Amino acid sequence: MLLRVENIHKSYGDAEILKGVSFDMEPGQSKVIMGPSGTGKSTLLRCINHLTEPDQGHVFVDGEELTSKNLNAMRQKVAFVFQDFNLFTHLRTVDNVAIGPRKLRGFDKKAALDLAYQELDRVGLSDRADAYPAELSGGQQQRASIARALAMEPKLILFDEPTSALDPELTGEVVSVMNKLASEGMTMLVVSHEIGFARQAADEIIFMEGGKIIEQGPPSQIFEAPQQDRTRAFLNVIEHGGHE
Amino acid sequence: MPYLVHGLSVAIALLVCLLSLGLVLGLLLSVAEVYGHWTLRIPCTVFERIFRGIPAIVLLLLFYYGVTDFIEMGSFMAAVLALGLRSAAYQSQIFRGAFLSVPQGQMMAARAMGMNKFQAIRDIVLPQALRMSIGPWTNEFSSELKATSLAYVIGVVELTRQAKYIISNTQGNILIVFAVVALMYFIVNRAGNWALYRLENRLALPGFEHRGDA
Repeated sequence: MLLRVENIHKSYGDAEILKGVSFDMEPGQSKVIMGPSGTGKSTLLRCINHLTEPDQGHVFVDGEELTSKNLNAMRQKVAFVFQDFNLFTHLRTVDNVAIGPRKLRGFDKKAALDLAYQELDRVGLSDRADAYPAELSGGQQQRASIARALAMEPKLILFDEPTSALDPELTGEVVSVMNKLASEGMTMLVVSHEIGFARQAADEIIFMEGGKIIEQGPPSQIFEAPQQDRTRAFLNVIEHGGHE
Repeated sequence: MPYLVHGLSVAIALLVCLLSLGLVLGLLLSVAEVYGHWTLRIPCTVFERIFRGIPAIVLLLLFYYGVTDFIEMGSFMAAVLALGLRSAAYQSQIFRGAFLSVPQGQMMAARAMGMNKFQAIRDIVLPQALRMSIGPWTNEFSSELKATSLAYVIGVVELTRQAKYIISNTQGNILIVFAVVALMYFIVNRAGNWALYRLENRLALPGFEHRGDA
């Protein structure tokens, strides 16, 4: 088992955002977390690498529990792709990708750059290597941030609504990169309403509401024969182009 | 005139020393104020409030007549300390503002990839904050250049004091001597600002934000 999430609870003041969430992931799996806004999907994702500290519960990666002591080492195994990219604005695209291997993985400058060019090639951005983030389109920025994640050679990548900040015509290029990674066997946990990715690349859909997992299963089951009324109602809304 | 040039060189030496002290200490103070534990933050904030709250001339007198009772130092050293510590307090506010204006996502992305707080500040936030500090820092440069003339009161033989000597020794024309002195300060000020603006433009990030050349 690559990832084990056990009974995660998180409250902000009186509001309990996560009410005990547990699930597992095997290596090479892709799972998509769906559900209405304010349901705790992003909070759950942040709790997994402790960008938000859970109040209760445990996270195990490769059998090792994530704690405040091994936090930085564990985060190198669990990459995070943000909704709003968060590329380092003062670094060229290629240096954004190279900085992780250089500063955290002990690569020398040349090896780090070589790896960075490889990863940029993987996401189709070799020709923009010298550009600064502000010179890239949103879709290009998100692909660069995926390359930055890949350069850490993580066990698992967490995607927090990776296409939500993009214009509709730019989401396709990001989704196709994600599809490709999934088919190459990358383990991915994705918070997204991107039906295309969910249908094509996900092994399992996790449907959340009110801080709990309501239903989970393969896309065929969730999309064709959802067991729960809430899942059905939600899918109805997003499949008809709406936005929850 | 050679006396004035010598005075100017003393003023510039004082300026370089006090700005350097202020830069190093100001950066440390700002990091402590923005990222430090409260036990570190509070003493730093107290230091900063005190040195921003006392007139430069009073600080000079305090350091020269007060502190030299305990620690042996000349008037130049006293001036560097008094004005340098004061500059550190002002510079800490420039850097603090710059640190706070770096979007939080930058720190978050650095931490998410496994950098510790120190690495994230040094490699990600600081390079961005320093770029944004150059503009406001030109202001600090100008103020401190002019503040060096106050060191006159504790006997540092800088530009303003040299001018006074020349006038009293030669019965020279006050207006002419001080006009020359004023011009000297003005030229150094303009030259310094020009160099800093050039630096700012050189370090500006493509596609990011450009000022003044649109």
